[in-house]
Amino acid sequence: MQKKIILEAVDIRKDYGDLRVLNGVDIRVREGELVSIIGPSGSGKSSLLRCCNLLERPTAGQIIFDGEDITRDTVNINRVRQNMGMVFQQFNLYPHLNVLANVSLALRCVGKLGKAEANAVAMEALTQVDMAHKRDAFPGQLSGGQQQRVGIARAVALNPKIILFDEPTSALDPELVSSVLAVMKSLRERGMTMLVVTHEMGFARDLSDRVIFMDGGVVAANDTPDVIFSSQGNERMRSFLSRFLNER
Amino acid sequence: MSQAADSGLIHTFFNADIVRQTSPMVMEAVGQTIAIGVLVIVAGILLGTALATWRFHTQSRVLRALIVGYVDVLRAMPPLVILILVYFALPYVNISIGSVLATFLCLSVILSAFIEECVWSGIMTLPKGQMEAARSTGMSWWQSMRHVILPQALRLSLPQITNRCIAAIKNTALGSVIGFAEILGSAQAASSDYANPTPLTLCAILYIGLIYPLVLASRYLEHRAGIR
Ligand SMILES: Nc1ncnc2c1ncn2[C@@H]1O[C@H](COP(=O)(O)OP(=O)(O)OP(=O)(O)O)[C@@H](O)[C@H]1O
Ligand SMILES: [Mg+2]
Repeated sequence: MQKKIILEAVDIRKDYGDLRVLNGVDIRVREGELVSIIGPSGSGKSSLLRCCNLLERPTAGQIIFDGEDITRDTVNINRVRQNMGMVFQQFNLYPHLNVLANVSLALRCVGKLGKAEANAVAMEALTQVDMAHKRDAFPGQLSGGQQQRVGIARAVALNPKIILFDEPTSALDPELVSSVLAVMKSLRERGMTMLVVTHEMGFARDLSDRVIFMDGGVVAANDTPDVIFSSQGNERMRSFLSRFLNER
Repeated sequence: MSQAADSGLIHTFFNADIVRQTSPMVMEAVGQTIAIGVLVIVAGILLGTALATWRFHTQSRVLRALIVGYVDVLRAMPPLVILILVYFALPYVNISIGSVLATFLCLSVILSAFIEECVWSGIMTLPKGQMEAARSTGMSWWQSMRHVILPQALRLSLPQITNRCIAAIKNTALGSVIGFAEILGSAQAASSDYANPTPLTLCAILYIGLIYPLVLASRYLEHRAGIR
């Protein structure tokens, strides 16, 4: 029996002016799954992810989240986003707030928790990403890897049904990547549903339930990592993958 | 000879007798000036920040152009001209306001134009990802503005904001033209009453006392922000 679908994109199109960057994309993410999105630069991976939580409005198509079409005008997007975390390539921590306040801000504004309660939830999330000891530090005092773990804690703290990751390790120095991947791995083990745009092919291959290969604004392949990485795919995908596989 | 010149200088500019006689009048003006200065700063910062926020929020080009026009015109006009226009022109449309209120209104509006520009450039300097990160956690646009964008924008523009507030306090002196008994006007009146410029010296010292705390406060805030 298959798990319930948490997030579904149906025939998503996205145009920026005359430029069509998504041309009929369908994806599905089921409860507890980790789905990776890979593909060449400019293929529309970030655009797709940002359409999922409506940071960008899709030009056409629907986003079904937890059984609800959130692209309808009547939907309160703020309520939806509480259940759909996002982690950014550039971390986007709030530089004027300390680590604890970065994580607890939304809990207080959106979750309507009191200060003590919000801090307790935030500390729990920080502990999960192994950053509790830096609760009083400011983002500027942290390494990129540490900042990204706080970014993950900010998403985790709201206890979302899914977290979207947009190249969470691409802005990091190579030696800092593994600490962030380790945190993501532990999230997966706790059963967090994740949709991850990544250039870390090792991560996609070893930890994903499914891998989506995007090319030119469409889903060019959508399968288990075994199939995707066994180079049975099309020519574009083989050449894309060979670059990464040869690096090893 | 030089001793005589010294005592002449002191007698003319630092005359203790005259200080004693005129200071009640000048000190009363200090109270008024501080009250108006504080009100102008509060009103100017609130209005300026609100305008910058509105300009950032609105999708309407017309509204945006109106705000930019308001800011540009007020920044371009000499404050004295605005003050005189408001004070002497409004009665013709059957609105008459006192000199204190006129000074307060004009200086607040002028300050708001400068503050709008400071806050706006602060908002523009912030990476787009700040708003997106806040929105992605389910915070509303207003909540994101209040807790994420504006605190940073205000901090970034704090030095310019301080300068504009200092200018606003100094501009209270323009009120004397329309009969508002602020520090400079009172000092001038006192010095002509007593045919001695000592009240003006007193006035200079009072301005320093008025403005320096502002400089210190802003330096303290900048320092605190700098630690982060
Ligand atoms: N706000 C925007 N306005 C106009 N064009 C945009 C905008 N955002 C993205 N694009 C264009 O859309 C296309 C897809 O961009 P997108 O960021 O989704 O690609 P990507 O797959 O995430 O690439 P990368 O791996 O480099 O992050 C690109 O050609 C990009 O230039
Ligand atoms: Mg991208």
